Amino acid sequence: MNPFIDARSLPTGTVLEPDLAIVGGGPAGITLALALAHTPIKMMLFESGGLDFEAGTQALYDGKNTGVHYLPLNASRMRYLGGSTNHWGGWCRPLDPIDFEKRDWLPYSGWPFGLSELQPHFKRAQALVEAGSWIYDDADARMNAQAPMLKFAAGGVYTSWFQFSKTRNDVLPTHFGTRYGDDLKHVPNLKVFLHANATALTLAGNGAVLDTIAGATLNGKTFTVKPKATVLAMGAVENARLMLASNGVGNQNGLVGRFFADHPIPRDTATLVHFAGDLPGYYFNGTSVDGAILRATLAPTEAFKRTRRVLGSLATIENPVELNELDKAAIVTAALAVGADASNAKAFSIGCGLELAPDPERRLTLTDERDALGMQRLKLTNRVSNEDFSRYRDTLKEWGRQLLAAGTGMIRLNYDTRAEWEGALDWGDHHLGTTRMHADPKQGVVDANLKVHGIGNLFVAGSGVFPTYSASNPTLNLVALTLRLSQHLHGVLA
Amino acid sequence: MSGPGYSRRAVAIGGGIAAALGLTALGVTVPRLLHRHRATPYDDLLDQLVDREAAVKLGKIAYAKMGAMSGLLDLTPKAPVLARELRQRLERRTLAEVTRSDLAMGRLMEIKGWVLPETMVLLSVLAALET
Repeated sequence: MNPFIDARSLPTGTVLEPDLAIVGGGPAGITLALALAHTPIKMMLFESGGLDFEAGTQALYDGKNTGVHYLPLNASRMRYLGGSTNHWGGWCRPLDPIDFEKRDWLPYSGWPFGLSELQPHFKRAQALVEAGSWIYDDADARMNAQAPMLKFAAGGVYTSWFQFSKTRNDVLPTHFGTRYGDDLKHVPNLKVFLHANATALTLAGNGAVLDTIAGATLNGKTFTVKPKATVLAMGAVENARLMLASNGVGNQNGLVGRFFADHPIPRDTATLVHFAGDLPGYYFNGTSVDGAILRATLAPTEAFKRTRRVLGSLATIENPVELNELDKAAIVTAALAVGADASNAKAFSIGCGLELAPDPERRLTLTDERDALGMQRLKLTNRVSNEDFSRYRDTLKEWGRQLLAAGTGMIRLNYDTRAEWEGALDWGDHHLGTTRMHADPKQGVVDANLKVHGIGNLFVAGSGVFPTYSASNPTLNLVALTLRLSQHLHGVLA
Repeated sequence: MSGPGYSRRAVAIGGGIAAALGLTALGVTVPRLLHRHRATPYDDLLDQLVDREAAVKLGKIAYAKMGAMSGLLDLTPKAPVLARELRQRLERRTLAEVTRSDLAMGRLMEIKGWVLPETMVLLSVLAALET
């Protein structure tokens, strides 16, 4: 057993020489360490925080925001072992095949590989996030057996399914630090350093090799890591920050920090009226079936995405809502027009997670302010285009058409103006895109193996490498992508 | 579904009445189905509205919006123009049939955010104009 090492106790000037340095102890870093357990690769994992929340460490995340409202940078992520799984909601859904495609109508789209590259890793990823058996879009028959699903005519929207990381004792859902802390201690080829911050990357060999990582603690200790290879796994925001703050490591084409993305979660975007009244519980909450917890969501079909040029969206049915006299008149008139019995009709609010189009100007940049370790802080410039909203609106409208065509319900779109959309905007805290993946160094920071272009031994893990973002929550997918990275690293290092 | 002695239109309207009688879950008052309306030159069309009172409410809002729309009709939707358009659409077809066609073809209108079949909205506007 290897107990965790508190870096604050290291003698200043310590030099550590692992085969592989993993910088960051969130879901990507922990997944990588577990995946390479019991290999000849000597690993060291450096986590900035400890085992629980500490305000001083969290404050290292402080930064500035400009543009469209966004949560403060120190509030949208967690800086201790387990990373942002310490506050995630456990929502899981795999990427769709179209998410990987280059779409002529979507600038900057196209991953350097397809879904088939991740599929071999989903089983283990699903186990790591503890989301039960792999059901997802095979769930219709099982859920219909519990209670009849909401019917609507064939068209551009279909019922898809989230699965959830499971409840385990008092931890809901799987917090990677809590769940896998003991497992990490039993990895013989791993040492975990807590309270260990990476503050700078230094290159050698004319910039072709990462030579050292400067380490520091909040009690004033410094240390040096001299690894054979390094994986940055601090999340999309902090990975970009460290690279930018290290004289622009990997930023030869000015891409580091650009293309930041998250999933906007506008509240109460629409009102669903279901003519038959109540809906099954699995539309509102996670529901157990066959060893998994599922919740229904409404998503645009691949064909609809192509023909209408919309991006991903995952709408959920939320709470009952009250209607006014005009609403009731619209419902009466429409229900009668389609010959529907609306005698038990009920109305519900619709929530959603949206996919944004890639935008190089939605970005992170360094400021002149410095944190307690002397690192430059970040500024996020956040943008959402009108098209990002209107694409989702088109999808909702299509769903409304399908509902009325089936005589089962109808939709009211609640927002039209940009001010209305922005007024309802919340965010998923899913940081994406700042070190995007592309085979061409001029279009991406990392290549298909997640290696930083031009640097032989520096890799980036996590959803920061996603070139497009899907509407699916990123954790399951970034874990699968990290498992794929572990295979590559095993081949390179073992 | 339609048996001997009943037209498709009569059956459709009858079914609509049956549905309307129970529209209470959202607090909708039962429509005054037997309310006698002032006779209009368009009753052949307006009789397709099972709950004309509700349609009038909707139609007033829709009419206000149509002033700002373009492309739907060449002229400002005054009753005769609108009726001519609706008679073409509803010729030998019930509102339910035309509504299904609208939905299949994606002929939709948004009224206060509600996604609605176009012909149904136009018929509601006609009802509002004639009230």
